[in-house]
Formats: sequence, structure tokens, C-alpha cells
Amino acid sequence: MEYVPILLLFVLGFGFAVFSVTIAEVTGPRRFNKAKQEGYECGIEPSPQPVVGGGRMPVAYYLTAMLFILFDIEMVFLYPFAVTADALGVFGLVEIVLFIATVAFAYAYVWRRGGLDWN
Amino acid sequence: MTTPASLPDIDYAGVAPVLIILGAACIGVLLEAFVPRSQRWAVQVVLSLLAIVVAAIALGAYLYTGPQNTSTFAGSIALDRPALFLWGTLLALGLGSILLIADRVVEPGGAFVAQAGIRPGTMLDKEQANRSSMQTEVFPLALFSLAGMMIFCSANDLLSMFVALEVLSLPLYLMCGLARRRRLLSQEAAVKYFLLGAFASAFFLYGVALLYGYANSVKLADIANAAGGTNRSDALLFLGMGLLLIGLLFKGSVGPFHTWTPDVYQGAPTPMTAFMGACTKVAAFGAILRVLMVAFGSTHWEWQTIMWVVAGISMLLGAILGITQTDVKRMIAYSSVAHAGFLLVGVLALDGSGIRATLFYLISYGFTTIAAFGVVSLVRDGTGESTSLSSWAGLGKRSPLLAGIFTFLLLALAGIPLTSGFVSKFVVFAAGMSAGITPLVVLGLIASTIAAFFYLRVIVLMYFSEPAADGPTVTLPGMYTTAAITLGTLVTLLLGVYPSFMLDWAGTGGFVV
Amino acid sequence: MSARELIANDPTWLSLVKAVLVFALLLVITILLIWFERRVLGRMQQRPGPNRVGPFGLLQTVADALKLAFKEDIRPKLADNWVYFLAPAISAGAAFLAFSVIPLGGQVNLFGYQTSLQLADMPVSLLVVLACSSVGVYGIVLGGWSSGSPYPLLGALRSAAQVISYEIAMGLSFVAVILFAGSLSTGDIVDAQGQGGVWYAFLLPVSFVIYVISMVGETNRAPFDLAEAESELIGGYHTEYSSIKFAMFFLGEYVNMVTVSAVATTLFLGGWHAPFWLGGVGGGVLNTGWWPLLWFLLKVVFMLFIFVWLRGALPRMRYDQFMKLGWKVLVPVNLVWIVAVVAVRTMRNTGVGTAQLLTIIGIVVVVVLAIVLLLPNRPAASDVEEVPVTGGDHPLPPLDLEVPKVPKRKPVAAAPAPELSAEEEGVPDGRA
Repeated sequence: MEYVPILLLFVLGFGFAVFSVTIAEVTGPRRFNKAKQEGYECGIEPSPQPVVGGGRMPVAYYLTAMLFILFDIEMVFLYPFAVTADALGVFGLVEIVLFIATVAFAYAYVWRRGGLDWN
Repeated sequence: MTTPASLPDIDYAGVAPVLIILGAACIGVLLEAFVPRSQRWAVQVVLSLLAIVVAAIALGAYLYTGPQNTSTFAGSIALDRPALFLWGTLLALGLGSILLIADRVVEPGGAFVAQAGIRPGTMLDKEQANRSSMQTEVFPLALFSLAGMMIFCSANDLLSMFVALEVLSLPLYLMCGLARRRRLLSQEAAVKYFLLGAFASAFFLYGVALLYGYANSVKLADIANAAGGTNRSDALLFLGMGLLLIGLLFKGSVGPFHTWTPDVYQGAPTPMTAFMGACTKVAAFGAILRVLMVAFGSTHWEWQTIMWVVAGISMLLGAILGITQTDVKRMIAYSSVAHAGFLLVGVLALDGSGIRATLFYLISYGFTTIAAFGVVSLVRDGTGESTSLSSWAGLGKRSPLLAGIFTFLLLALAGIPLTSGFVSKFVVFAAGMSAGITPLVVLGLIASTIAAFFYLRVIVLMYFSEPAADGPTVTLPGMYTTAAITLGTLVTLLLGVYPSFMLDWAGTGGFVV
Repeated sequence: MSARELIANDPTWLSLVKAVLVFALLLVITILLIWFERRVLGRMQQRPGPNRVGPFGLLQTVADALKLAFKEDIRPKLADNWVYFLAPAISAGAAFLAFSVIPLGGQVNLFGYQTSLQLADMPVSLLVVLACSSVGVYGIVLGGWSSGSPYPLLGALRSAAQVISYEIAMGLSFVAVILFAGSLSTGDIVDAQGQGGVWYAFLLPVSFVIYVISMVGETNRAPFDLAEAESELIGGYHTEYSSIKFAMFFLGEYVNMVTVSAVATTLFLGGWHAPFWLGGVGGGVLNTGWWPLLWFLLKVVFMLFIFVWLRGALPRMRYDQFMKLGWKVLVPVNLVWIVAVVAVRTMRNTGVGTAQLLTIIGIVVVVVLAIVLLLPNRPAASDVEEVPVTGGDHPLPPLDLEVPKVPKRKPVAAAPAPELSAEEEGVPDGRA
């Protein structure tokens, strides 16, 4: 039941957004022009696209995504720890230092091998 | 707000072997980051071997002080006899695998690629194939995987088991794709293994969810209690169990969940194939044993028929499809499927003698496998390993010693007396007989006869055919591969002629609940 | 009664009323924010800013929005219809969601009900905030991907990488706050900073600074607005969008700004509590009734001003610098800070006195300084094995490429054939 208010706001927010996007089809003028429907590339002929969304993307983005998952999970583990840290006392401190150190190993490895560099 | 948390008691002496391996793996990652490229290989080899030896000493010390047959980490990790025996097995097999991985003589620079990021087939790739370095991350990855296997076969609750499953699998997926030669094949194997393994993990996890829904706990003992004492709907229980077992049987490459095995065995770098063939099988069957006996032992009347069928399918599939293979690595892969079926016979005995037989089978099969793949890595031609069966023709005339060793190992796989393979098959089938699954045992005997055919075919090929003029050469192995092959062969022989001490060790106790 | 218990008693109709109010509030703030930004930027750049539509140009945004609604809605030929349609809706819709767990004020009487000025609160409110801010990334990525055009795709990728990178820093900066408040509920966190408590911005300055930096990165705002770097990527992920769909992306961005400012207010600036000594005036009367809404809005406006100020004052960062700041500075600093905070707090709880604590901290600082100073200052050896992550196998011209001189053309009388070959020679070979 706690989530019902969020659901209400969700309905309002998305309803508003979807409604607006939909009426745009009606309110706007329609003047067909072939050039308008091409992808925008500063006025030059659009380069051919193999499929929607283009072909490949640089591998660095995948790397970032994987690192994000790694650290996101670390973060999610830290939250419940932070809530109960006082109750866990010194044991919790030792454990969390070990935990962060373990992630730091991987972090040091990625850093040294250039996984965080962009060029 | 803040309730005092109850901290679990941890038996540090008991889990020391696992902690040592994991710690060494972490240090290995740091070494990768900070040690200069040229020294990494040496440092990593020393660290890995040292870690395994120290872990073995820790295990020995714990056994010497008299283990309590307990569990630790609030009951998540069992420290019972089978678990400790499997840890010892894994450490020993891990040592052999690390030796194979470390070899840089057979394939100049090692069987692993110098730089995995280079695209196969490019100029850079040709250059790196001749470079005398390797991707030394393999060592920490292997250690992580080994630690995952150790936890996997001693996990007493399904969540720990799942985490261990991932810890052992993810490095394996990666390492499968790191072959120095035939990189596309290797990468294809890695992707196949990864995709299918991810599916299997998903099945496992789904099974865990259903079992949690049934028993309101992920502990194996609680599931057994829930199954024993209530009149709840069994649908959740057996659906969950089925999905869980699919995940486990996949890891143990039991037919019909074996489809990844031949491709991955063939594509992966040979030391990795040895590691997978030996250690993964030990870990997977350790877990299958524990799950079936601890969690589902009380309900075995309901499901054992299906498992008999699975075991029979696995034996027959492996034996029959093995005959048609023309590649040594694929042949051993199918033979491992057949062996998985035999192992299941021991597991399905579901009693103390079954545990003993299965544990013994695992250790003897593991050593034979490592030695066999060690030999496979030695037969080479210009493009790398020559695994096609036709090129092995006449090997007995070119290199009698190597052919002799391989013959001995094949006889062990076939289960001929005076090898460990015979003893292990004997104890497994004996356990099956005494547990009353005679039809399965008969099927097992038939399957081993069929399988013996393709082992013998290789032997005939090696001794009674003329070697091809442009056939492969046998490389003189370096220190590490020699050590691994010697170790595997000697253990195979030792367990064949004097198995009783190992059988005693394997039979000292059951699972802690 | 805590805010959570009060809210749990709300009947559904009251929740609906609150939801409508929050929604309306966000829309109004957004409209005013755009006006505010343009006016303040104008001042910073020595020009008046919008001043024609309505008093002080207040209705400029409304006029713009209405104008956008009557523009043609163009859909590129290669676009993926459904995704292209949904992306702006996701972007705008998700932006509203996070606001649902923000406490706008304390206990008030709303239509005869004693309730708290907060739409929803739960034991995991902060996770809701993070979850909603992640959903917004979908709008960006899908929008860029579905346009079927290279620039939006690149912009979307950049933007997504940026948002998730800074989300790490952002999420980690929450940890110290959670530690002190002992709860993930936003209501509890605000309470912990009330009555005699210290604002976490002062107690945990490092976390606050990291949060402020990462919230700017998270919302793709200047100086981190790399996804829409006009000089490189035209408009970024919404290049192909027009009409209301474009307005929805715009709306999403500004609502996000408001939301992250509100989160900053809640977590670090004491939420709806009256600032400084004002809380003590008249026995705390300024912390009751509808007053808190005022303080809350003032604090949000303050944070929004920082956004505008940054945009007016700072040039855009380069992408590699930006990622370096996120991954190599914010994350490690954050982790070290968390460990330090946990260590100090645990020692305090276990009865270590202040003097001893300071001694320990002093020793640690001295040791760290000594290590840093004693480390040999050698340049990092370049790792020859390092694979360039970007670039790949694309043929790149060498950096020291010399363009061959174009030979002088012959006078007009020459035959056309040699002239043509001369031109061919003159073309610099990119693959040299």
C-alpha cells in the first residue's frame, strides 16, 4: 500500500507525457518534405545506416556499463550496511573495510590497465 | 530501530583453504596491476602454486586436529568429510591444472593468448601469436574458479551455492576464449559456454526461488524437513528441484544437458579443457550429491526414476556419440558425458557406499583427465595442436613413450583392471547394485563396452597404422607439463593397484545436515 | 508520529490530491525555473533576458511551450516508430517519479486530515530515488537509438555513459548520510537533521560536495552537458526530435534538475526545517504548519541557482576529463571517505574518547602523508600491451602528417588531362 501514491504520480506523470506526445500528431501542421525525413547530418547526404540505430558502438561504452554494474552492486551492498552499521560495531567495520578493499583490487586493476581512460 | 545483530560463528581453521585460495586470487589481481609485464608470469606461477600448497597444508592441519563434522557461517558452509575430501581433490587437481596452464615450452609463450583484445586474423594477431608472453590473468582467474568450486561442493544452502556457481563459472567462460591458436574457435566456444551457462544459472536460480516458495528457506536441511513433514503441494517442490538439477547437471555435463561439452572442450585452450574436465566435474558432482542426499533424500521415491533415466541417457549418449568423433578432444568430451552417467549411478545409490564410490570416481577420473589432456597438448603440427584422430595414426612408432602413456590413460578411461578407472567403475556399480538399481548398472556395463570401442580404436590407430608423412610431431614437454602428466599417470596407476587407502578416506563419513 | 506513519494513514483520495499537487508544483517550478535560468544567465552576461511576455517576461516559457505544441512533428524515415514515440514520454514521466518520496514539509492539516506534506515514504525511499533517476536514462538511450541517425546515437551513448558513471558517485555519497540517519527513509533523514541535529552538508562536507558535482553530471547540465555539445554532436540525443516530443525531453531535464535539488535539500540541507537560528524563533513555530514548505522551496531555489550559476560561469569540459573526474577522483575519494566516516563513528560508539580519536586520526594522516611523500615520483611506465579502447582498427592519419604541396597549375593553355592528374596527386593520402 505504501507504493500506491507513487503509482498515482506515475499515472499522472506518464499520462501527461503520453498525452502530450500523442496530441502533437494532431496539433502540428503536416507539410511533407522528403529531406525532412532524412537523418540530420548538418545538411550533407545522410550516411547509409545498416539497421535502425546504426551499426556498432565503441567497446569503451560496454566497459563503462560493466564497471557501472560492478560499482552499483557495491553501492547497493553498502546501503543495508550503513543502516545497521551501529549495531554491527567493530565486526561491521572490519567486514566493510575488507569488502571495499576487495572491490578496490578490481578498481586498481582496471585503472592500471587503462580501463578508465578515454581518448 | 537497531536490533543487535547476531554475528555468525566462523570456523576460520576450517575454511582456511578456501580463504587462502581466494586471498591469493585477489593478490594475483593486484600483481597484474602493479608488476611489470615481463615478471608477471613468474610471479603468478609462484603465487598460484604456493597458494594451492599452503591451502592443502591448512586442510591437512584441519584434518589432523580432527574435524567436528560441523558447518560454519551460520550453517552455510558444511565442513563435513565429503566436503573436505572434495576440497583435497580439487586442490590436487587444481595443482595439476595450474602446472599445465603454466607451461610455456610446449607452445612457445604458453597455450594462452598474449593479448586477448586483439582481433583474430589481423596482422597484430599474427604478431602476437609468436610473442613469448601470455595473458597472465589466467592464474588469478583459475584460482577464483577453484575457490568457487570449493565453496560450491560444500555449500549447505542454495544461495551460497548459487554465488559459488557464478564464481566458478564466470572465470571459466572467460578463460575458454583465450586460446593462442585457433582463436575464433576458442572465442566461439567461450560464447557458447557463456550463453548456455547463463541459461543454466537462470534455471538454477528459478529453481531456488520455487524451493524457497515451498520451504520458506534456502537451507538444504530446511527443504528436507519441509518435504518430510507437511502436506503442502509437491508441485513447487518438484518443479523447483527439477530446475535446480538442470542447472547442476549442466555444469556436470550430464546428458541430455551436455550439448555445450564437445564444442567447449574442443575450442578451449587444452590446459583449460583439463581444468574444466577435471575440477568442474568434481565440483558439480559434489554439489549434486549434497543436494540430492541432504535436501531431497527423504523424497527420493518420487523422483529417482527420472534421474535413472537421465543417467541412462547420459551413458548411452556419451558412448554412442563418442564413436562417431574424429577429434581427440571431442572424443574425450563425449567420454566425459558417459562418465557423468556412471557417476550418477553412484550418486543415485543415495547411501554411504554411494558417496564413497562417487568421491573415489571423481578423484581418479580427474587425474586421468588431466594427464590425458596433457598428452593431447603435446601432439602438434605447424598450426598448433593436432587433435584430428587421423593425424594420431602411427604415433606408437614415432613416440613409444607418449603413446604408451596415452594408451594407459585410455585404458583407465575405458575401465580396464590395474587402472583407477576399473576400481572406480567397480565401486560405483557395486554401490548401485546394493542400492537395487540393477537395470541401470546393466545399462552402465553395456555403455562402458560401447565406450571401450572408441578408446581401443585410438590405441589401434596409434600402434597398427603407418604414420602419415606430414603428420604431427610430438613436442618434448617442459618441466610443468611433464610434472602434470606424471602426476596424473602415477595417481591413475596407484589408485588402480592400491585403491584401498583412498577408498577408506572417501568413505569416512556422510553429509552434515 | 513519524512522517511514515502519518502517510500510511492517508486515504487514497488524499494521496491522489497530494499527487496532483506535487505534479502541479513540479510543472510550475519548471516553468518558473526556465524563466529564472534565462533571467539569471542574462544578468550574468550583461543583458536583460526575456522581458516581453507577461510581467518581467514570466510567461515566456508558457508561450514557448504553446508554440512548440503547434510545430510540425517530424519523424525520420529510419526511426523505430514505437520507441521513437515512447522515449520522450519515458524521459519526462520518469523525471516526476522521484519527487514522490521527497518530504515537502512536516505535519499539516489537509482537508481535515492530519498528514505529512509528503506523497509517499517507505523504509527504502532512497532506493526509489535512485531507481527513478536510472529509469530516466532509458528515455535518453532509447531516444538516441530509435532516431536512426548517427549523431543522436552518439549523443545518447555519451549521455548514458555519463549518467551511469555519475550515478555511482551520487549513490556512494548517500552512504554516509544513511549511516548517520540510520535509515533509508527520506522522512527519517530529514527528522535526524531537525531538532538539534546538524545539517549533513556541514557534518559530511565531502559527501555534499561530491553529491553536488555528481548531480550536475547526472542531469547532463553545464559544465557537463557533453551529450548535447552543439559543436560536436548538434543537439545530442534529441537532435531528431521536434514539436512536443522535443519539449518532453526538455521538460524531463528541468524536472530532473528540480528533483536532484530537492534530494540535495532533503539529504544535506535539513529538508523542510527552518534554516539556521530561525528554527528557534518563537519556540519553533517556524517549523510547524505550512512554513516548512517555504524553507524547502527556498533551499531548492538555492540549489537551482547553483545550477544556473555553474552554467553561466564554467566552460564545457572535455569528455575524457569528465569521465576521469568521475571515475578517478569522485569514486575513490568517496570510498575512502566512507571508510573514514564508518571508522570514526564505530570508534566513537565503542567508547574511544575524543582525544584518543584525534590522536588516531592524526597518526593515520601522518602515515598517509609519509607514504605519499616517500613514494618515488617516477613516471608511470607505459604499458605496451595496453589495447586502445576506442579507435580500434580505423585507419588514422599520422599526427605528423605533412600535406604534400599542390604543384603549381600550369597556365590556362594547358590540356585538361595533366591538370586532372595534378589534382589527384594533390589529394593527401589518409592511409599514409
